[in-house]
Amino acid sequence: MLKAIFYKEWIKLRWYMLLALIVTTAVAGYCLLRADRAIELRGAGHIWEVMVLKDAVFIDLLRFVPLLAGILAALVQFMPEMQRKCLKLTLHLPCPQQRMVFAMLAAGVAMLVACFAVNFAVMTAWLSAVLPAELVTNVLSAAAPWYLAGVAGYLLAAWVCLEPAWKRRVLNLAVAALIVRAYFLAPVPRAYNDFLPWLALYTLALSLLAWISVARFKAGCQD
Amino acid sequence: MTAILECKHLTHYYGKRKIYEDLSFEVPRGRILGLLGKNGTGKTTTINILSGYLKPRAGECRIFGENIQTMAPSMRSRIGLLLEGHVQYQFMNIVQIEKFYSAFYPGQWRREAYYELMNKLRVAPGQMIARMSNGQRSQVALGLILAQNPELLILDDFSLGLDPGYRRLFSDYLRDYARAEDKTVFLTSHIIQDMERLVDDCIIMDYGRILTQQPVARLLGTLRRYTCRVPEQYVPDLPEEFYHPSVIRGRMETCSFLPPADVERRFAELQVPCTDLTSELMNLEDAFIGLTGKY
Repeated sequence: MLKAIFYKEWIKLRWYMLLALIVTTAVAGYCLLRADRAIELRGAGHIWEVMVLKDAVFIDLLRFVPLLAGILAALVQFMPEMQRKCLKLTLHLPCPQQRMVFAMLAAGVAMLVACFAVNFAVMTAWLSAVLPAELVTNVLSAAAPWYLAGVAGYLLAAWVCLEPAWKRRVLNLAVAALIVRAYFLAPVPRAYNDFLPWLALYTLALSLLAWISVARFKAGCQD
Repeated sequence: MTAILECKHLTHYYGKRKIYEDLSFEVPRGRILGLLGKNGTGKTTTINILSGYLKPRAGECRIFGENIQTMAPSMRSRIGLLLEGHVQYQFMNIVQIEKFYSAFYPGQWRREAYYELMNKLRVAPGQMIARMSNGQRSQVALGLILAQNPELLILDDFSLGLDPGYRRLFSDYLRDYARAEDKTVFLTSHIIQDMERLVDDCIIMDYGRILTQQPVARLLGTLRRYTCRVPEQYVPDLPEEFYHPSVIRGRMETCSFLPPADVERRFAELQVPCTDLTSELMNLEDAFIGLTGKY
């Protein structure tokens, strides 16, 4: 049954995920090309110095891209479920409803994480060729909360999207904006280092919110 | 006969607006029961409660003896659900949707029943459901229910958006299937003509209450329309056994379950100034309007 749910989510998300993969990798690649150009013009030593002394990471452009990718993934996945209350069909299937909802979220998160993993792999491969290991870690640690924000954005957008009442959706949206703020507090390397595992747990815990919306949908809540 | 579906003392409000209070009914095994009511009388509300997507303010519904709100997930495999407007996953095509659903009904899924219907549709296997007409979508939804082969079918306004041909096709196919396989069906439709061909029993709802629940054959054999001549200025004030009396240009019309002799006697007792009293049996649509009124 879980395989069938993954199959349904795959049908909804496959083209979007391909697009998200191309766009996010292209933006990451553009950031790296800019850094490459700076190294060519000013020399690697100068760039290293700037990175150490001024906390520059050269991938600032990427900051909100994973968040946007996550939000759009949730919209692509859950808008068709809410269109004409299609979610009723899913919840009527002979499978525990919580398991089904979390399987849908797990499918979305898995595809998003796969997309982000490709981004990280590209960045790691290129940065390792031109920067020392410490600076590579600096750049990736600065990017990590942004990518976690992408997963959080996905889970929060799913929460908002699955909510059956518009007034509550607006309220959820405001709360979601405050929650997402936590991922962009300090855009400097290693700022989140000790906090990253907790931030990851906090991100996963956000998946519970979607069930609140589904429970409200099941209870017939409406404006 | 055992009741497959029973609702007891249902009460529901949207905010302060009462939909109904203390509503009770049951659907016996092997019967096709149609819920008839004007817009806003709570047909879809009842379907939503029955399918577990609305918690009533009070009362409970049981299907196969289990409370809907706490029903085990496996029980849902015995219930086929058709949503208003034949809603299905629009992003799938007919092959993908069959593949998806079949995984949930091992041992009971009848793939051939689905494809038998799909072959009549003449749609390309890769055509998305979103790009199909309402009629084609209704056949996909029906095909999926037939393949699921449930014991109980709950159908919400199955005629919505369908042209007469598809409506007839849907209701005939459903009726033959339900009768041949001894299925229990609970359905609503706003097109009463379709119901007459399809249902064994009917519940006619008015705002907040059930007007009558009985076999259609008995309803159509006992409910009569009475017409008679009355003075132009006569304002009818008849007891409850006469439904919605109205006078238009000196002609009074009302409906009643009373036989003609009793009506004649009651009119005399009530001193209704009527002449030329006639009575006639009606079809289901006229019976429905007679009981619920035109407004």
